[in-house]
Amino acid sequence: MVKSLSKRIGNAVILLLAVLVLNFTLIHIAPGDPVEVLAGEMGGATPELLAELHADFGLDQPFHIQLFTYLGNVLHGNLGHSFYYDKPVTELILDRMGATLLLVITALLFALLVGTALGVASAQKRNSLLSNLVTILSLAGFSAPVFWIGIMLILLLSVAVPIFPIAGMATADEPEGTFAYIFDVAQHLVLPVLTLASIYLAFYSRLSRASMLEVLESDYIRTARAKGLSRFLVVYKHALRNAVLPVVTFAGLQFAQVISGAVLVETVFAWPGLGTLAFESILRRDSPTLLGILFFSAVLVLIVNIVVDIAYRVIDPRISAK
Amino acid sequence: MQAPLLSVRDLEVSFQIGGEEVPVVRDLSFDVEYGETLGIVGESGCGKSMTALAIMGLVPNPPGRISKGNILLEGVDITKASEKELQSLRGNDVSMVFQEPMTSLNPVFTVGEQIAETARTHFGLSRKEARNKAIEILRLVGIPSPEKRVDDYPHQLSGGMRQRVMIAISLICEPKLLIADEPTTALDVTVQAQIFDLFRELQEKTKTAIILITHDIGVVAEMADRVMVMYAGRNIENGPATDFIRAPQHPYTRGLISCIPTLQADPPDDPDALFEIPGVVPSAVELAKPGCAFAPRCQNVMDRCRVEFPPSAQIENNRSVSCWLAQEETV
Repeated sequence: MVKSLSKRIGNAVILLLAVLVLNFTLIHIAPGDPVEVLAGEMGGATPELLAELHADFGLDQPFHIQLFTYLGNVLHGNLGHSFYYDKPVTELILDRMGATLLLVITALLFALLVGTALGVASAQKRNSLLSNLVTILSLAGFSAPVFWIGIMLILLLSVAVPIFPIAGMATADEPEGTFAYIFDVAQHLVLPVLTLASIYLAFYSRLSRASMLEVLESDYIRTARAKGLSRFLVVYKHALRNAVLPVVTFAGLQFAQVISGAVLVETVFAWPGLGTLAFESILRRDSPTLLGILFFSAVLVLIVNIVVDIAYRVIDPRISAK
Repeated sequence: MQAPLLSVRDLEVSFQIGGEEVPVVRDLSFDVEYGETLGIVGESGCGKSMTALAIMGLVPNPPGRISKGNILLEGVDITKASEKELQSLRGNDVSMVFQEPMTSLNPVFTVGEQIAETARTHFGLSRKEARNKAIEILRLVGIPSPEKRVDDYPHQLSGGMRQRVMIAISLICEPKLLIADEPTTALDVTVQAQIFDLFRELQEKTKTAIILITHDIGVVAEMADRVMVMYAGRNIENGPATDFIRAPQHPYTRGLISCIPTLQADPPDDPDALFEIPGVVPSAVELAKPGCAFAPRCQNVMDRCRVEFPPSAQIENNRSVSCWLAQEETV
């Protein structure tokens, strides 16, 4: 266990280095000059000022020098300095990280728990109303684009029936007290989470339904029934633990997708997270910030994959044996 | 005389096949006395396993159901019992060992847990008590160092060991009836012998009645007190095991016994030394036709066999057979 874990972490470090080099190169190749964007926003600048800014940001150096300087900085824990915000990138990311993690983790947990529950419940009675409802809902969840679902939810639940706030993460005049604040954020969280979770909810409900149907047919379920166990124990103890294995696998694989989905959702709901920051950095050619966010996401995905690996071993004893 | 432990009367199990309800077990009646071993013999697809599942109340539904008849276990009718009543019977009064030890245990729980939970369910034991009982029963079924094996997962055990675990699960509540559905088919021959020794040993200790389902005549001869031969969902011959081997009555039973290779025979030089019954078991759908189901394969077929099904007739003490020819011969 420890051995395979340290091997995984070693692989992760190599992978991260590759991600850094690849991202840096890609952004370098992409057209656009951050200095020109800055100059544009300042209302113009002399060629001397432009040259000075280039020198300040190290953009006048050859590519390989820039790359190695950047890699050296990252290894020392320095993700660089944002051209646009004039702040260290690490500080920017730490400021916005909480909002994104809150959104992504809530959405993923919601999709996992509710999706699995729906799938398992609908697997019990194949042709029941619930089963058909899950099939239809998951088809809709699969087919509809994320931003469209977001806009429809806003129109329905914020405009037509104003239950939830339209956008943002908290009311401008912050309510007094911790609980009031938590409640306020939770209210703002509902629609973005529903939007981001929709497609995964659909996916996990279908996956767990199929997996549950298969497991319920297996020999060891017949054994469990032959032992005289109650229906509840047979389904929720013996079948469920085997049926969630593929769901866990996919949750790990899809975490990266959820993070990229968050960029869209944050933009639709003006959620002050890393997604909006990444989007703005692209528009402003703020490459250090963008690189920092990409690096941070890569770290996050790798951590989640290792966690999933551990979870997998806990659920299925056959894996740790290999 | 004491009433039998299990009494099956006119049992019919049907399956929905292509919108039609087709019986796979029919007109099946037999008894199992306390402490005896009944062997059920027949080819694949003759309804042996379905009969076993019917006794457990586990006929897969849908598509299957018990469409007629009664199954009385100590007077309780399993065909009419509620799911709750069935749950309290299963694993407790009647338990079952399945054919496939490799897939019959849940891969994500320790064998100890899988044995212990049965005892917790039926006897209300605490976790610790149930665990100790699991260790005790693992020792009884011949698993070495059971206090270590109790925490093993199924994949850490061999096929024979897993089948011992299955037997441990089925015996922990000391059932009155144990159904073993081809318990050794998936195992090596040496392991087979060990498992049957174990069954005999345990039966002596616990006085459990056993229904042993098999297609191995040798096993039946060795293990069973009485034998029931099934063909196409019906009981076609029923009697003491010794008579069954010595003087089979039904042409099908005779065929089955002729299929056992002898030591004198030398198959590579003499292909005829390995006897086979010509033809295959008819499918359930074909059986809707009148007459004896075995008639198309029977060497002694008579005109009557093709139009009229021979009812089960008593030919000797404790012996019955469904065959026109056998009945004529004894009259």
